[in-house]
Amino acid sequence: MISFSAIVDRALNGPICTEKEFDLNIFVPNLRKVLEKYKITYDPATPVPSDDALADRVWEAAMEFLLATGMFCLDTERRILFTREEIEGALATGPSGNIFGDGKDARIMPRRYPEDKTPPWISGCGAGPVSKEEYLINIVKTYAEDSLSDGITAPCLTNIDGRPLEANSPWGIEGAVRTILLTREGLRRAGRPGMPVVNEVASAIRAQEHIAGHRFGNPKVDYLEIGLVHELKVDLDALNKVAYGLSTGNLTFAENGVILGGFAGGPAGVAVVTAAYNPVDMLVLRGAAQHPFLVPFEKGTTSNRTVIWARSVAMQAISRHSPLPMVGSGYTSAGPLTEMSYYEFGAWIIANVVSGGSVEIGVPYRGTLVDYCGPVENIFGNGVANASAGMSRKEANKIVLALLEKYEDKIPDPPKGKPYLEYFDEKGLPNKECLALYRKMRKEFEDSFGFQFKKTSPFW
Amino acid sequence: MPGEEAVYEQLKEAIIAGDREKTLKAVEAALEGGVSASDIIEKGMSPGMKEVGERFARYEIYLPEMMMAAEAWEGAMKVLEPKLVEGGKVAKKVGKVVLGTVAGDIHSIGKNIVGAMLKMSGFEVYDLGIDVPASHFVTKAEEVRADVIAASALMSTTMSQQKNIIDHLKARGVREKYAVLVGGGSTTEDWAKQIGADGYGKTAGDAAALALQAVARKEGK
Repeated sequence: MISFSAIVDRALNGPICTEKEFDLNIFVPNLRKVLEKYKITYDPATPVPSDDALADRVWEAAMEFLLATGMFCLDTERRILFTREEIEGALATGPSGNIFGDGKDARIMPRRYPEDKTPPWISGCGAGPVSKEEYLINIVKTYAEDSLSDGITAPCLTNIDGRPLEANSPWGIEGAVRTILLTREGLRRAGRPGMPVVNEVASAIRAQEHIAGHRFGNPKVDYLEIGLVHELKVDLDALNKVAYGLSTGNLTFAENGVILGGFAGGPAGVAVVTAAYNPVDMLVLRGAAQHPFLVPFEKGTTSNRTVIWARSVAMQAISRHSPLPMVGSGYTSAGPLTEMSYYEFGAWIIANVVSGGSVEIGVPYRGTLVDYCGPVENIFGNGVANASAGMSRKEANKIVLALLEKYEDKIPDPPKGKPYLEYFDEKGLPNKECLALYRKMRKEFEDSFGFQFKKTSPFW
Repeated sequence: MPGEEAVYEQLKEAIIAGDREKTLKAVEAALEGGVSASDIIEKGMSPGMKEVGERFARYEIYLPEMMMAAEAWEGAMKVLEPKLVEGGKVAKKVGKVVLGTVAGDIHSIGKNIVGAMLKMSGFEVYDLGIDVPASHFVTKAEEVRADVIAASALMSTTMSQQKNIIDHLKARGVREKYAVLVGGGSTTEDWAKQIGADGYGKTAGDAAALALQAVARKEGK
């Protein structure tokens, strides 16, 4: 694979272009061309397609699109272009078999295929905003106590001692450091000290905050989550994070959140661009896993039918052609302690797993409400993800359609659910109402869809 | 003019297609044929923009189509505005909006969509881009005599910059001059109320409607 230095050289010296030219004169026309050429169209009736030929066409379309388009560096206004040989080089030598975590918490991040029986790698907790440090610790501890949890996505502190946590300020640095220390404490209390912290710090926007947080975590196992800008754009700050990660030898989650409704257009375009990101994640972000987080620009939910389809198709395409594992991320529209959030988690997680991905289970209510986190819903998600391994895409499609019927029309105005103090009791444990709902929904999935949950949950 | 309806249809279709060249050619042909600048806008181009907005609301088209339609519109208006002035008319501008993503935040898609929708609603939009310091919103608003400041923030850690804009407005003694609208992934109605914003846009469409309401309030309607 070409060196990172070569990528940086291109970011600094590549062909000059304005952002608008890149978006409207290069990205959009190139994408439209391949969508037409490879006849990729969205099928709302089949959110989880069983169509290997479609998956392969999406992959071919994505590679052709990436070759023609390249990437754009925002700071230098230059394009980063790749040759076919370079893309193929990345795919031939791409990472696989990396171990995430340490000691008894170590687990290989598997490469998975559609309908793969290999259990997915699972992280959760989901970067939701929390207002108090004890909430963060309890949320993390709760999730980490399920042995199906392989990694933790740290919640996001909103304040430092009552002061709003402002990005790019010293409070941003302190917030990153404190988040990691609190998350590590939560993991320690759960008896999972070797569990990796996935996103490092959700509140950290700039490299200095990421690096500060990373320094105070467990540098041996925590890894950086580095994201690109929509679409196919990178800035020097992201490359700075990569440079740091390469020096420390840490693993990187390479995040891409293709926006449905943005430059990628509709579901077909989103699927192709998501697939195109896969080699980019190896070449530019030097990722050990691709972390796709498809999201519609409005409402931001990831359990929409359109997003489920795009995610499924993209993941099938990628898993059939690339060694780089995928850890698909998603939220729900409905809030915690609602039946709807369980249905939503079920739907997108099933689609994700049978399509060849591992999962990162996010927060309810799109992570927009402070203290509305759902670690027990995430534990349910763990069970669904694990039980979905080996399921056929055809069966998954039936279940996802049945689940969509239960919540799809409520997405525009979903139930808010309940915040931390109505979710946890005074001891910092999920309360009776929370656990009753969890058990009820688990039984519903067992009875209605034949799910066989592993009895790993601490709240069985 | 014979075939005037066909001319308007051509203009409408060119806008819907987001084809700047085609739109300019259609405008030139219409002007040569004796169609007035105001009729070109009101009977040809505006219905096209309306259709674009409606298709976007139905998710039949997306951001690229909206931006290209807005580009086609702006290109045509550069030709037509002087003609309107010659004819003693002024292009109907609903209002002026200063738009941007707040300091520390580099997300732009939502902002771009809002910008396109505001233009389609007849607003003159001054898009400051991303990572915009609070004071810059105010300075630009003062410079262009804007009606509305619209600030987008995706992250919970950048939301506070929306309050910062309001603080800067107050510090300069100009808070009452501008309606401040906020939106973006982490923002909520409660947040908007908490910081004293004048409106919260949950969706891109909300932004245009809120901006129209703000201007109407300003004009005492």
